[in-house]
Amino acid sequence: MRLLIVEDDAEAALAMSKGLVEAGHEAEVAADGEAGLGLARDGRFDVLIVDRMLPKLDGVAMVEQLRREGEQTPVLFLSALGEISHRVEGLKAGGDDYLVKPYAFAELIARVEALARRRETGSVQTLLRVGELEMDLIGREVRRRGRKIDLQPREFQLLEFLMRHAGQSVTRTMLLERVWEYHFDPQTNVIDVHISRLRSKIEKGFDKPMLQTVRGAGYRLDA
Amino acid sequence: MLFLLFFGGAASLFLGYIYVATAGEAQRTADAAIAREARSLDDAYRSGGFGALNEAVIERSSSTRGFLYLVMDRAGAPVSGSIARSPFAKAPNGSAWTSFRLTESIDGALERRPARGMEERLSGGDLLFVGADVGEAEGYVLRIVNALWGAAALVVVLGLCGGLLVASDLTRNVSALNEVIGAARVGDLGVRAKVRGTGDELDELAAGLNDMLERLERSIAGLRHAGDAIAHDLRSPLTRLRARMEAALVETEAGRGDPVAALRQALEDADGMLRTFTAVLAIARLEAAASAPDQIRFDPGELAAGVAELYEPLADDKGLEFGAELTQGLSVRGNRDFIGQALANLLDNAVKYTPGGGAVMLRVRRTGAGEIELSVTDTGMGVPEGDRERIVGRFVRLENSRNAPGAGLGLSLVAAVAHAHRGRLELAEGPGAVGGLGPGLRAAIVLPAA
Repeated sequence: MRLLIVEDDAEAALAMSKGLVEAGHEAEVAADGEAGLGLARDGRFDVLIVDRMLPKLDGVAMVEQLRREGEQTPVLFLSALGEISHRVEGLKAGGDDYLVKPYAFAELIARVEALARRRETGSVQTLLRVGELEMDLIGREVRRRGRKIDLQPREFQLLEFLMRHAGQSVTRTMLLERVWEYHFDPQTNVIDVHISRLRSKIEKGFDKPMLQTVRGAGYRLDA
Repeated sequence: MLFLLFFGGAASLFLGYIYVATAGEAQRTADAAIAREARSLDDAYRSGGFGALNEAVIERSSSTRGFLYLVMDRAGAPVSGSIARSPFAKAPNGSAWTSFRLTESIDGALERRPARGMEERLSGGDLLFVGADVGEAEGYVLRIVNALWGAAALVVVLGLCGGLLVASDLTRNVSALNEVIGAARVGDLGVRAKVRGTGDELDELAAGLNDMLERLERSIAGLRHAGDAIAHDLRSPLTRLRARMEAALVETEAGRGDPVAALRQALEDADGMLRTFTAVLAIARLEAAASAPDQIRFDPGELAAGVAELYEPLADDKGLEFGAELTQGLSVRGNRDFIGQALANLLDNAVKYTPGGGAVMLRVRRTGAGEIELSVTDTGMGVPEGDRERIVGRFVRLENSRNAPGAGLGLSLVAAVAHAHRGRLELAEGPGAVGGLGPGLRAAIVLPAA
C-alpha cells in the first residue's frame, strides 16, 4: 500500500513511516497541511494519515479542501483531541476514521489496512465468504462447510466485521467502536470473552482454527 | 456629588412648585373677590347712573368690607372713595389689574402693605377703581414659604445624611468585595465574601462571587490533585520501566538476556501508564468542567442493556450469576460515552471483586424522588462503611485487593462522571452476608431525570 503521512512532528512521522515500511507498505511524509494537500491531490495514495493539528493548513481544513476537489482517498485522522465533538468534526470534514493519540502501532496498522480494504469492496454484498465460512447477510445465517452455526445477534455482528476484514488484524478498540459502538476503554478485556465464545462456535467440531489471536494487536480471521 | 446636585435641584423644584401654587391661589382668590365687588358697583352704575355709584361707594367706603374704592370722573379726577388717588399712573381704556403698595398709618406708624386692584372705565366714561389689601393673604403665603424653607432645610439635611449613610454603606460593602477579589487575585482562593442575607443586588453579587471562587478553587484543587496523582502514579512505573531497561541493556551488552522480552515488557509498562494518564486526565477534565461535554438525551435502560450484554459473558466465565432489571423508556441527558464508561467501571469492579458462585445485578429504575438510578449490586466482600468515601478517591485500593488488576481510578471516574451530570455516586452495603458470600456492595449512579 502507498501511504501519505501528514505530520509536523518529524520524529513521530519517521517512526510511523519506518513501522509502515516494516509492515510492507510504502510511506511518504509531508510536514504541513499545504504540502500534504499538494501531494494528496495526485490521488496516488491508498490511505492518507493526517494529523489534526498542522502548521500552515490545519488537518481538518486540508481534508475538507481535498473532498471539495473530489479526491476520495480514505483519510485516517490522528489527534490528541478525543472528545466526541472532535471526532464528529473530523468525520464531518471527510475523514473516514479517527485515532486518538497516543495509540499502539498495531492499532494504526490495523485501521489503515481496514480503510484500504473498505475502498476495494465498494459494492453491496449479500453473501460473505471466508474459506469454509459463509455468511448470508439477508437470511442472517452462518454456515461452515454447509453446517449451520447458531449465533446471538451480537456474535453475528462480530463475525460479520471479522469476515469483512478477513486476513487483517483488527484490534479490540476497533471491535468495541464498530461492533458495540462504544468509545470508551473497558478496564478488563471484555472483548476477549466475546471472541472466545464466537471462536468456540465457529471452530468446535472442525479441525482447522480460523480465528487467530494476534499478539499485541488483536484478532485475525483467516481462511 | 452628582447625587447632591440632583437632590438639591429636585428639592428646589418641588418647593418652587408649592410656592407658586399657594401664592398664585391667594392672588386668584383676592382677584375674584375684587372682580365681584366691581361688578356689583357696575350694576349700581348701570341702573342708577353716576349718582348711584357715588352713593354706593361712599356707603361702602365707610363699611368694614375691607375693599378700597375710588370713583373718578372722565379726566381721572377723584370724586369719592377710600383712597386718595389711583395707583395707575394712566387710566386704562378697558380694565386693568395691578399689584401695588398701600401706605397706611396704623397706630401712628406708617406701614406699606401689599394690595391688588382693578381700574375700569365704566360705560359712561367715568373711572372706577376697586382694590383690596392682600396683606393677610400675603402673610399667609409668607408663612407657608417660611415653613417651606424650614422643610427644605430639613429635607436637605435629612437627604444628605441618608445619602451619606447609604453611600458609606455601599462603599463599605463594595470595598469588602474588592478586598475579596484582591485576595483571590494574589492566589488566596479560600476567601469568601460576606453574604448579609438582605437579598439585594450587593448580596447577589457577593453570592455570585463566592460561587465563582468555589468553582475556581475546586477546579484548581482538582488540577493540582490530578498533577499530584499523575506524578505519584506515573513516577513509580516510570522508575520501574527505567530500571528494567537499564538492566536489559547491561545484560544484552554482556551477551546475556533477551532484548525482545525486555522491549515487550517495556511496551506493556508504557501502555499501562498511558491508560492511567488517560483516566486521570478524563477525571480532571470532568471535575474542572461545569458539566460533561457532548450531552444528548437518551434512554439509560437501553445503554445499560448494551453494557450488560458486553459484560455478561465475563461474569458467566467467572461463574457469577448475572441479572439485569432495566426499566425501559426513561430519559436522562448526558454524555453517553462517559455514562457508559461509568457503568462499565462499576460492572468491572463487581465482576472483579465477587468470587465465583456469587451474583451481580444491574438495575436501572426511577427512584421515588424521580431521579434515575443506575446501580450495580454484587455479593462480593463489600467495602466497610468507613472506607466507602475513601475508595472513591484517586488511586485508592483497599489492602485486600492490591493484587487485582487496575489502577484504582475506576470509582473516581464514576464519581466524576456523576458529578459532571449534576448527579452523585452512592455506595451502600449489598444484600448482606449469606453463607460465606457478601455482604457485597451496591454502587449507584443517581442522575436527574430529563
